[in-house]
Amino acid sequence: MTAFVQQMVLGLLIGGLYGLAAAGLSLVFGVLKVLNVAHGQLIMLGGYGAFWLGALAGFDPFAALTLVIPGALAFGAVLYWTLFAWVVRASEETRVKNSLLIGFGLALALDALAVRLWTADERSITTSYAGAVASVGGIAIPLVRLASLVLAGALIGGVHLLLLRTRWGRAIRATAEDWEAALLTGIDVRRAYLLAFAIGTALAGAAGTLVSVGYSVSPSIGLEWTLKALVVVVLAGLGSMPGTFVGGLVLGLAEAAAAWGFGGPYREMVGLVLFFVVLVARPQGLFAR
Amino acid sequence: MLEVEGLEASYGSFRVLSGVTLEVRPGEIVALLGPNGAGKTTLIRCIAGLLRPRAGAMRWEGWPLGQAKAHTVVERGVAVVPEGRRLFGSMSVEENLALGAFAPRARRGEASRLEGVYAIFPVLRERRRQLVRALSGGQQQMVAIGRALMADPRLLVLDEPSLGLAPRLVESIFGVLREINRGGVSILLVEQNVHAALALAHRGYILEAGRVAAEGQGSVLLNDAHVRRAYLGPLAR
Amino acid sequence: MTRPRGLALGVVVVAALAAVPRVARTDAELNFLFLVLLSTTLAQSWNIVAGYAGQVNLGHAAFFGLGALTTRTLWIGGTPVLLAMGAGALVATAFALLIGVVAFRLRGAYFAIGTLALGEILRITVGNLLAEISTLPAATIASYRLADRYYLALALAVATLGVVGALGRSRAGLGMQAIREDEEAAEASGVNALGLKLLALALSTALAGLAGGLFAYYHISYYPSHPFGPHWTFDALLITFVGGVGTLHGPVLGAIFYVLLKEYLAVRWVDFHLLIFGALFIGIVLLLPGGLVEAAARLRALAGRRAP
Repeated sequence: MTAFVQQMVLGLLIGGLYGLAAAGLSLVFGVLKVLNVAHGQLIMLGGYGAFWLGALAGFDPFAALTLVIPGALAFGAVLYWTLFAWVVRASEETRVKNSLLIGFGLALALDALAVRLWTADERSITTSYAGAVASVGGIAIPLVRLASLVLAGALIGGVHLLLLRTRWGRAIRATAEDWEAALLTGIDVRRAYLLAFAIGTALAGAAGTLVSVGYSVSPSIGLEWTLKALVVVVLAGLGSMPGTFVGGLVLGLAEAAAAWGFGGPYREMVGLVLFFVVLVARPQGLFAR
Repeated sequence: MLEVEGLEASYGSFRVLSGVTLEVRPGEIVALLGPNGAGKTTLIRCIAGLLRPRAGAMRWEGWPLGQAKAHTVVERGVAVVPEGRRLFGSMSVEENLALGAFAPRARRGEASRLEGVYAIFPVLRERRRQLVRALSGGQQQMVAIGRALMADPRLLVLDEPSLGLAPRLVESIFGVLREINRGGVSILLVEQNVHAALALAHRGYILEAGRVAAEGQGSVLLNDAHVRRAYLGPLAR
Repeated sequence: MTRPRGLALGVVVVAALAAVPRVARTDAELNFLFLVLLSTTLAQSWNIVAGYAGQVNLGHAAFFGLGALTTRTLWIGGTPVLLAMGAGALVATAFALLIGVVAFRLRGAYFAIGTLALGEILRITVGNLLAEISTLPAATIASYRLADRYYLALALAVATLGVVGALGRSRAGLGMQAIREDEEAAEASGVNALGLKLLALALSTALAGLAGGLFAYYHISYYPSHPFGPHWTFDALLITFVGGVGTLHGPVLGAIFYVLLKEYLAVRWVDFHLLIFGALFIGIVLLLPGGLVEAAARLRALAGRRAP
């Protein structure tokens, strides 16, 4: 029994990062109607960014977030201007297809770049407090992962408030709902797209940093995390940051249960199977608004 | 002053407007009438900046509209209430109205303009926190007009505001439009409800098959035999 | 170029390729050409669904893998290799049709990521169930003849090109292209979209299954989950798009270019070819959707214009 609860707790802890990973993808897909399949690579870069900051400048990874997030924001803006700004000129159907292809090319290029810069080895950031564990009723809770969960929740909560309360947040939500109406209201829709994309990238970068400190990064995690994010987005639906966070937790728990019930190797399958089933069970489209 | 000259527009290879010329003088209410498919909404989309015309010219206060991006058209003082209202259903009345004042020109005096909108449409003040999709058709139309007013426009363009509304509501909304016009805002009104539109407007244009088929003073058009036969049906005397 | 000239050129090329085993001094040339032929086949098979029917299938590796798995199992068990390959193609196609009916209800992006997920599910399952490396028995290794594999690869590539060429000119092919342009409009004009998409999928996966069988026949040892890896799909995607999606010789050009780049650059900079191809790919999607084929056509037009 204790072992089961232990598994579930660990599942919950990583679930928070799944949620954070998905939040960025959900925002971009919801607003721009663009599916950036290189999202996982952005997460990977966030992890490597933190790793580099730690190795070169001795930055504590949690502190490194203060640099990674703005850096990722800027990188997202650049990516949007150079690539996705072209994609959004097309109609919605062509947009999705083109974004898939562009994202794919981007993912490949970034993967190859990562291998070049950091080799194919797995990297993890170890800190002095890495082993710290809180013990609650016989369950071990790694503090680093707990802190990551809390931070993930805080970041998502922050973006949620941004979308709810600020002027541009409202503009982004309006654009997501009806971009033509947004234009008629005086909103510069392309700037809304830019902001959404940049924020989405920043969320990915943050997720990557948290992954690198609690778990590990390697050039191959890109596809893996893109799929995780996709699964959560499908489960949770679009349009709600808190919903996406909960979706991530659900995936984490589901994976833990699967690993517990069927053994470790099947942990990955649960998400994918769930994903496929949900995709197919709602043929009218993924998300009923 | 809005000037449209020889405007041509198409959707793909499908030609909708084949040379439209009209104008809206300062302080006027101009009605734009015609059957379905005549190109009225297409014309509005061109003015709003959502559709690039193929030929012809459009000018607002001397400023060329043809290549402008839609959100800059709002910044110039033209606000459009689109067909079907196109509100943000998942957001509240207040949020929708606030978004109306998004353009930089509209942000000055936003608070007092919001008060002004609530004064015109008191029911919106009561329901300001409600989600727009929970409102009735008439109330939604009020939000749509209110949202456009929040942009502090000098030209208000409305595409079929009476669609789906009960006659009494239409009367009251048209009364509001008259008041708005008295406050100095020019109005371009696309309508199916010919009678009410021509009664309200100073001048009118009839658009048929992508061209202006008739124009004149509101009262003159109302009494024109062709117009009466085509649009006012058996009820016209 | 005109059809008779194209065919004549094709015959010459095939004849030349057929002569290589007699002329080549080392195995290196044969291995290189084998790779080009295999890549061409795999890319062309992907091209059928993507280039002609307009659906981006990101799980293509699943069918390559199923073909490989079936063929390997049967062949090592004693079945003649050609029969084993045929069985591999059948298994791949059966699986494809099963999920195709379900997956094709999804449009656009959802089909793509759905097939991606499917491919990954298969890879993980096979990887878990068959974790050990598959090696040929000693007797088979002793009688291994590279030339056999080479000729089979050549035959398969030619057959694939034939199928795609015929498809491009057939009514079914035209219907598929109509779907690619605008599925709803095509359905409105009476095209049976689901039927044609399934046909495209069946052809595509049968060929991919055969290619997988070829892979199983060629390699002495490999991990059973390896042919299910997503990079096989991605290779096919890259090659097809860079070469010219929806064309006949696009994937051929792309394959030659790709394998050249990969093999030539592998020495200096592993995976560098991916960086280049990734960037090329983006450029092509954005600027030159017709790929190398379109580039060549434009150059020819330019040259034509300059001539007096």
